[in-house]
Amino acid sequence: MNFAQSRTLRAIDLFLTALLIVMVAASSFSQAAYALDTVKCTARPNGDTGSEVLGGVETRITWEGQADPEESIKGITIVMPESTEYEVDDARLTILSGDDLMTRENPECEFKAEGQAVVCRFAEPAKPGGYFRIEVYGVEFPVAGGDMRLSGTYELADGSSRSLDDIPAISVTVTSPTQQLAKYLEEQPWVQAWNSNKFLRLFFNPPILVSSLPVVLHGFFMAIAIVLIAFPLAIPIGLMFSFMRMSKIRILRGIGSLYVNVVRGTPVFLQIYIAFFGLPLAGIQIPPFILGIIVLALNSSAYQCEIFRAGIQSISKGQFEAARSLGMTGSQTMAFVIIPQTVRRVLPTMTSEFILLYKDTSLLAAVGVMEIVMYAKTIVASTGSITPYIVAAIFYLVLTIPLANLVGRLEERLAGNGNAQIKKEKKKAVKEAKRALNPGVVEEKLEEAPSAADADNSAVSPEKLSSM
Amino acid sequence: MKKYLVLAAAAVMVAALALVGCSSGGSASSASASGDASASASSEASASASSEASASAAAGDMTLVTEGKLTIATSPDYPPFENLENGEYVGLDIEIAKAVAAELGLEPEFKTLQFDAIIPAIAAGGQADMGISGFSVDPERAKEIDFSSSYYIDDQAIAVMKGGEITADNADEALNAEGVKIAVQSGTTGEAYVQENFPNATAQPYGNSTDAFAAMQSGQAVAVCTNKAVVDKMLADAYQDAEVVKSIATGEEYAIVVSKDNPALTEAINAALAKLQGDGTIDQLIGQFM
Repeated sequence: MNFAQSRTLRAIDLFLTALLIVMVAASSFSQAAYALDTVKCTARPNGDTGSEVLGGVETRITWEGQADPEESIKGITIVMPESTEYEVDDARLTILSGDDLMTRENPECEFKAEGQAVVCRFAEPAKPGGYFRIEVYGVEFPVAGGDMRLSGTYELADGSSRSLDDIPAISVTVTSPTQQLAKYLEEQPWVQAWNSNKFLRLFFNPPILVSSLPVVLHGFFMAIAIVLIAFPLAIPIGLMFSFMRMSKIRILRGIGSLYVNVVRGTPVFLQIYIAFFGLPLAGIQIPPFILGIIVLALNSSAYQCEIFRAGIQSISKGQFEAARSLGMTGSQTMAFVIIPQTVRRVLPTMTSEFILLYKDTSLLAAVGVMEIVMYAKTIVASTGSITPYIVAAIFYLVLTIPLANLVGRLEERLAGNGNAQIKKEKKKAVKEAKRALNPGVVEEKLEEAPSAADADNSAVSPEKLSSM
Repeated sequence: MKKYLVLAAAAVMVAALALVGCSSGGSASSASASGDASASASSEASASASSEASASAAAGDMTLVTEGKLTIATSPDYPPFENLENGEYVGLDIEIAKAVAAELGLEPEFKTLQFDAIIPAIAAGGQADMGISGFSVDPERAKEIDFSSSYYIDDQAIAVMKGGEITADNADEALNAEGVKIAVQSGTTGEAYVQENFPNATAQPYGNSTDAFAAMQSGQAVAVCTNKAVVDKMLADAYQDAEVVKSIATGEEYAIVVSKDNPALTEAINAALAKLQGDGTIDQLIGQFM
């Protein structure tokens, strides 16, 4: 009896333990059964470059969640962080289904803004186990940035409401001062009046002008880096080819001419395309930045070759003969007599070539090198405004105008060299005489004369000057 | 001499401004009106443009670049939506544009522009009446132009070369890694998708989808992310050694872009699209090209 009693007790004990285990298991199971799991919650980058999400600038939030197979949902509420603005006009609900979630459905629903909560009520409860996506447009996070935590609840077909857990935080970057300025400008009445003119809005939209400046600036540094490396690199190559073209050996002359004619006879654009898409196929892998430098340097070397050749050949034969008669060897003559004089003569044309090369960096945009035009193009494509191109133009002019000025001065100085003294005096005399006759006109004409000078005809004869 | 030059340059600028102001009207009459009064041109032009716009909206007739023709801007480097075959424009967008033009009783005339130049050109006016080039409806773009109702809904897809380290199983993690370059078409929704969902990777922008694929094939990028229909077409035709590792049902609505100054044309296009949708033409065209 005693024995039997203890046995039944033990059985009950066992039974109770088993029951407990089952209950715990069941309860945890049922918890899983009533969970709308957040799969992702992201904001569209709005900083014009990269993946940054900025505060104070409009973005779009995408939330996605997977409902349990038994869960029929009829409403989802997503609560935005404090002091975040948003709009519900363009908000969209999508239900995805199929193995790879490639079947889309946009069920009828109603979006309402209730304080910080975006409430989405479905017209009728969704099929159990759906994969939901909610997109909210016009979201503006606080300017200060930080980790933005969204929360939410959802409503089941039976009317019960549960909370949405584990929504990953969206990391928002502090808005840059220029973005803040752009936003401030956007609200100014004068800017709105300015933008009501279509031409001004498309080409000189103040907020876009301000916000694209720092972005395009990145490209400016890139373009300068490319040209500052490519140009010096092209000098020895160009010099080498110019010697080849002037060589007495026929084969060298042929190779030099072929190179120069092929490179100068095809657009840089094509050369860039061939190098970027052709070389890797031939098994040569070079990063775009370096490849860009190489292509531009090779291209520029062909032009520089001609500049050097013209420069060297413009030095009178008498100089060679004089140097040789002094007992200098051929290479000594080149190094100590001819080249130093050539340098001075080719400086203006070389500066022009530098300007050309700098502008040609824009062509690298087509192959994904992030330079000035590429950055501008990206903003143009997403905003539909031309303003970023104007910003890009400014960044080219910042360098080209001072350089063009320099070319002008170099040429003027060059014109004053050679028969220096005579020419200077002639020029002065002509200037004074003309000024006395017709003030204002003289300077222009005098400036024009040397600017037409190439390396070849840089030595303007005194007769020519006086004839003007 | 210099002073006169400055004056002349200023005069040219003023005239240019006036012309731009006028081109919002778009019709020949407004352009000639600006010619005789260049002094008060800008104010007059804007006044005439606005009155013309309201008048045309009230009357329900639209302004066209060329009378009797519907000038359509497109960037033909986006098969199967638009590309050139033997110099002919072909693709879904092209056929839809032709059908719309036929509904409006106009002769379609296509004009090639770079993708990123189409919206500015439509907004500025004077170059084309509408743009159709796989434009996804986007509130940011809608600030510059008006969208018609949508005619197609597309998704995004990511393709890689076969035999690489990235497969359909590990795509999510492998693509979102430091140093991974994903080729995209600059300014597209594909670019935004990569930046949003693969923040660790670099979205490498190219001018058009053909270049983006060439970049992947030549190893400048490991993957391409662009619209699914384009990826499917590219893989079927030129890139049989590539495969799709991830598709995302983003559900982007493609629409025609029209100038904000031409609401009557937008309305007419919407009506035409509704009719083509109703009689099954659009579905049939989608079946033909996709």
